[in-house]
Amino acid sequence: MSAFLLRRLWQMVPTLFGVILLVFVLFNFVGGDPAYLLAGKISNPAQIESIRNQLGLNESYAVQLGIFIKQVVTADFGSSWSTNEPVSQIIATRIGPSLVVLIPILVIETVLAILIAVLVAYVRSSLTDRAIMVACTVAMSVSLLVYIIVGQYVLAYQFGWFPVQGWGESLRENLLKYAALPVLLGVAVGIAPNVRLYRTFILDEVNQDYVRTARAKGLDENTVMLKHVLRNALIPIITNLMAYLPALLIGHFLIERFFSIPGIGREVIMAVERSDFPVIKAITIYVAIATMVINLLTDLLYKAVDPRVKLQ
Amino acid sequence: MSELLSVSHLRVSFRLDKATTIEAVKGVSFTVSAGETLAIVGESGSGKSVTALAIMGLLPKENSNVAAGSSVRWQGRELLGLPNRELRTLRGSDIAMIFQDPMSSLNPLFTVGDQIAEVLVTHHEMTWKAARKRAVALLDEVGIPEPAQRAKLYPFQLSGGQQQRGMIAMAMAGEPKLLIADEPTTALDVTIQKQIIELVNTLREKRGMAVMWISHDLAVVGEIADRVIVMRHGEIRETGTVADIFTRPQDAYTQALLQCHPPLDHRPRRLAVIDDFLEGKPPAIALQREARPQVGAGETAIAPILEVRNLSKHFEFREGLFGKRLLKAVDNVSFTLPKGRTVGLVGESGSGKSTVGLTIMRLHQATAGEVLFEGKNLLTMSAREQMPYKRRIQIIFQNPYASLNPRFVVGDILLEPMRIHGIGANEREREALARTLLDKVGLPALTLRKYPHEFSGGQRQRIAIARALSLQPDVLICDESVSALDVSVQAQVLNLLQDLRDEFGMSYLFISHDLAVVKYIADQVLVMHAGEIVESAPSDDIYRNPQHAYTRNLLRAIPRGYAHKTLVAS
Amino acid sequence: MSTQAHSAGLWTLAWRRLLGDRVALVSMSVVALFIGLMLASSLDIVAADWNDEIAVGYARPSLFSATAVTEQAPEPEAVSAVIPQVGAGDTAIADPAAVLKQLGLDDIKITDPLAKELDQILATTPAPEIKPREETRPFGADKWGHDVLLKVIKGSETSIFVGLAAALVATVIGTLLGAVAGYYGGWLDDLLNWFYSIFTAIPYLLLILAIAAVLDQKGMTTIVLILGLTGWTGIFRLVRAEYMKHRTREYVQAADAIGASNFSRMFRHIFPNVSHVSLVQLSVHTVGFIKSEVILSFLGFGVPVDKVSWGSMLGEAQNELILGYWWQLVAATLAMAVLVTAFSMFTDALRDALDPKIK
Repeated sequence: MSAFLLRRLWQMVPTLFGVILLVFVLFNFVGGDPAYLLAGKISNPAQIESIRNQLGLNESYAVQLGIFIKQVVTADFGSSWSTNEPVSQIIATRIGPSLVVLIPILVIETVLAILIAVLVAYVRSSLTDRAIMVACTVAMSVSLLVYIIVGQYVLAYQFGWFPVQGWGESLRENLLKYAALPVLLGVAVGIAPNVRLYRTFILDEVNQDYVRTARAKGLDENTVMLKHVLRNALIPIITNLMAYLPALLIGHFLIERFFSIPGIGREVIMAVERSDFPVIKAITIYVAIATMVINLLTDLLYKAVDPRVKLQ
Repeated sequence: MSELLSVSHLRVSFRLDKATTIEAVKGVSFTVSAGETLAIVGESGSGKSVTALAIMGLLPKENSNVAAGSSVRWQGRELLGLPNRELRTLRGSDIAMIFQDPMSSLNPLFTVGDQIAEVLVTHHEMTWKAARKRAVALLDEVGIPEPAQRAKLYPFQLSGGQQQRGMIAMAMAGEPKLLIADEPTTALDVTIQKQIIELVNTLREKRGMAVMWISHDLAVVGEIADRVIVMRHGEIRETGTVADIFTRPQDAYTQALLQCHPPLDHRPRRLAVIDDFLEGKPPAIALQREARPQVGAGETAIAPILEVRNLSKHFEFREGLFGKRLLKAVDNVSFTLPKGRTVGLVGESGSGKSTVGLTIMRLHQATAGEVLFEGKNLLTMSAREQMPYKRRIQIIFQNPYASLNPRFVVGDILLEPMRIHGIGANEREREALARTLLDKVGLPALTLRKYPHEFSGGQRQRIAIARALSLQPDVLICDESVSALDVSVQAQVLNLLQDLRDEFGMSYLFISHDLAVVKYIADQVLVMHAGEIVESAPSDDIYRNPQHAYTRNLLRAIPRGYAHKTLVAS
Repeated sequence: MSTQAHSAGLWTLAWRRLLGDRVALVSMSVVALFIGLMLASSLDIVAADWNDEIAVGYARPSLFSATAVTEQAPEPEAVSAVIPQVGAGDTAIADPAAVLKQLGLDDIKITDPLAKELDQILATTPAPEIKPREETRPFGADKWGHDVLLKVIKGSETSIFVGLAAALVATVIGTLLGAVAGYYGGWLDDLLNWFYSIFTAIPYLLLILAIAAVLDQKGMTTIVLILGLTGWTGIFRLVRAEYMKHRTREYVQAADAIGASNFSRMFRHIFPNVSHVSLVQLSVHTVGFIKSEVILSFLGFGVPVDKVSWGSMLGEAQNELILGYWWQLVAATLAMAVLVTAFSMFTDALRDALDPKIK
């Protein structure tokens, strides 16, 4: 187990280095000279030169890469170009609101999707099953923008059931008042693709030999489905869920933007709009690290559900 | 004897798509009495397994249909159309079932003990604690050592034989009056098969239950059955006591099945093929009886075409942080293949016999050793140097469905090797050659324009043989080449291989798990066990007088059918 | 075994299955219709005049009076009916484009960066006489009086082209790299897996946004490349797994045994057997990229402002909705939903038809 952890952590090093390299290439070669971008905003030639020096832009690429690696290792990405707020502080303060929205979405969506998928699997290849699948396909075809635009307009603006946007101070207030509609819309967007996927996972298991054995034992359909089939189907479901986690953090940036939730996603969009490189770079690196850690957790989680998995 | 199960006019069909429906079982009637063993024998597609699933009510709901007028009665009570709730009380308690592949038939995520206990909790209203305790006793009964520890293991931690014992324990848990065993030993090695057969026989006698044993192998059936039903294409060809079926078979198909498999006690010139019987032609018994001479005496006089010296193939697995585990799949194997002769390589699964073939072909990289072809080491050659030798050694694989590229027409499959090696002056000439080859393997010239999926397993294996022959090789490696084929088709392909060897003077390395087949075709037999050759002797000698304990064990395990049973009884 | 001399290969059989599937036929026709529209629009056969202001601003949708043309300027009530709903800062009081025409400045593009400021100025001046315009359009009109239907057609050009082209780029990259990694294994596999792990460590959308942030010029090629170069990972993984599976199949070993080269085994033998995976992924990714393009264009990181796309239409529609002008939103949503639903159903049918379960 500890050998496994050590090896997996060791394997993260080249990946992280690759991510650093990719981000470096993107921002230092492809993006051109960042000092000019800054120049447009500051409009002071004397300051530009000082910024060039400050950023190390007059150094060789090797030294610049070294600086960037040092930033990653010390977790100090400097300050935002547009607000001068330290990047570390931006990330620390934005992560909370994101999680307040994301965790309920994730939990509700997953539980609901598994529930519906199991129900649909019971009536597989019936008319109900096909109707729900068609409905899912149609629901997936509508842009998530439309869900948010229409949802916000109808439910908040027209009916006034929810605040149109905003964010409060206390967790309770945020969770119950401000996050309610964003969570509802997030679930609405995510439920259809997940039901479709989970149904496939369950149906893949239904045709396995061990299900026939379970029936031959005289077990009732509920035990067969909920105990034998679902437990096996959980393995691909976990894989899918964990792979989806980091994307979820960014993926619901639109929701954050529409509802003015001060989260990471909204921060990314604003940073992109303002060409605020330090913020984008920092978030990219942090999310990449989070992804790698989540992958490791996935492997540990496998061990919990699947006895065949050996952590070597 | 009281009648337990009565099946009458059972018809089952499957809907493949909107247009096609196939009838898998076409009006089958039979009965099973308490305490008897009824065997259903048939080749693939005979409908024997579908019959069993229909009795259990386990046919897939989506696309199967049991025709009106069919009837399955359990102790007088009609099961077809019975609500699932009532059927469930019978399944796993009165009627239990075990399947072909124990690994996939057990749920991978639950311990063996819990899976057995589940039956007891379901049918006997036991507590989980009591049920788990009883599960250990059942595992003990089916001969699993250290049952208390094994009960806590997951299926993947047990060997194939132990998994099947676990399945049997699960079936026994409900104290069934009838055990349906659907090809329970087909996926197992011959030594394990023998143990499972003995176990089921013991349990049947002890518990007085009836057994419905489904198999493709008449020899196995002969050892276990009281009565036998022979099925083909969804119909019953013949029903009789085991003595009648084996000594006085009435149906031509039954006769064919009995004669197609290579016998162990003599060595016919040719094997009987199914068409001889079905077309009413008297089978060429005379030809069959005429023993093929044992070659081997004066073997040293024949120059070896292939010499394998100290061949080893080790696989490494990563373990822990830096640790490695070594699997010696082939370890220090040496033998010679004389020109024009057949060497048989026999062993159970995991013995490394197939790895030997693949390593000789350089489809696996050898760890150590030499493979000398006419004195030149194939293993150290560069790719370019090896090209002319690739033409001279060819291989035929086990699975006829996997060994032909499904996207190529047969013409391309046969022409490609000739193109690569520049055989034939032009495409026309090559095509003419391909037609000749197809003729040799008994397929029409039309075959050239068709895709592999249009052919049966036996036909595909003929195409694979034709592909190998297109290079006019000197050595042919047959890696379990007839193992996936039905016994009647197997005989045809074995005859074909014999004819081709005689015609072209090829040398065969014939790899198989089936000792009877190896004895029939090989001049010299090598027995492999755990990566090593444990015995090597001329084919007839090894069966008459095996030296090594493993060989003796292997030979004892071969099911010999009814004749053997009577012999033991007298 | 059939007795025909020429027999059907697996592709032919798959095609026949597809043609025998009613859902597949319908969805295929819808997709074909959209692609046809896209081509026609890019050749200026249809919707070439989408940029003409043929109707009044926010002309209402009406399927019945679609041909009704008012010869005079729009009636004052119609305009005043609009005005109260307009929020502060909204510039769409009069029709600025028409005004420009009147002033002989109609060669200035409406989408000029200064257009808004110009609008502001023009809005404060009394509206001059307006050329005859239609009061209603079948699907309504936008702020400037562009016909929404024509805009949707023109927008399909962008969305479908970007979706298809980016999917093609991603599929080619993913398939080639996956083939190499899966077939050869060893250090090549390690290297390509390293690339894979880098690209998957950064969530797809974040990577796209990061690239969008550093790239100054926007255009169709840029967005196709961004989507294509970042979206290959899923295909790589699938194709790699297929190659690893097929590499040890007996037909490939047999090809090795007869002396077929690595290249021949990779592309002549294995590729036709795994190409259905790439084909299905091409279809899956087209749908995904059409959706991504819509979001990127909505955010303004997508196609340039002088092009219309479903995403930019949704961007405009977001503000219009508050004012009660729902038709642009509905039109763009409907067009996209119909296309994507049809495409997804076609993909499912394709997957079923190509299912290699048949032997």
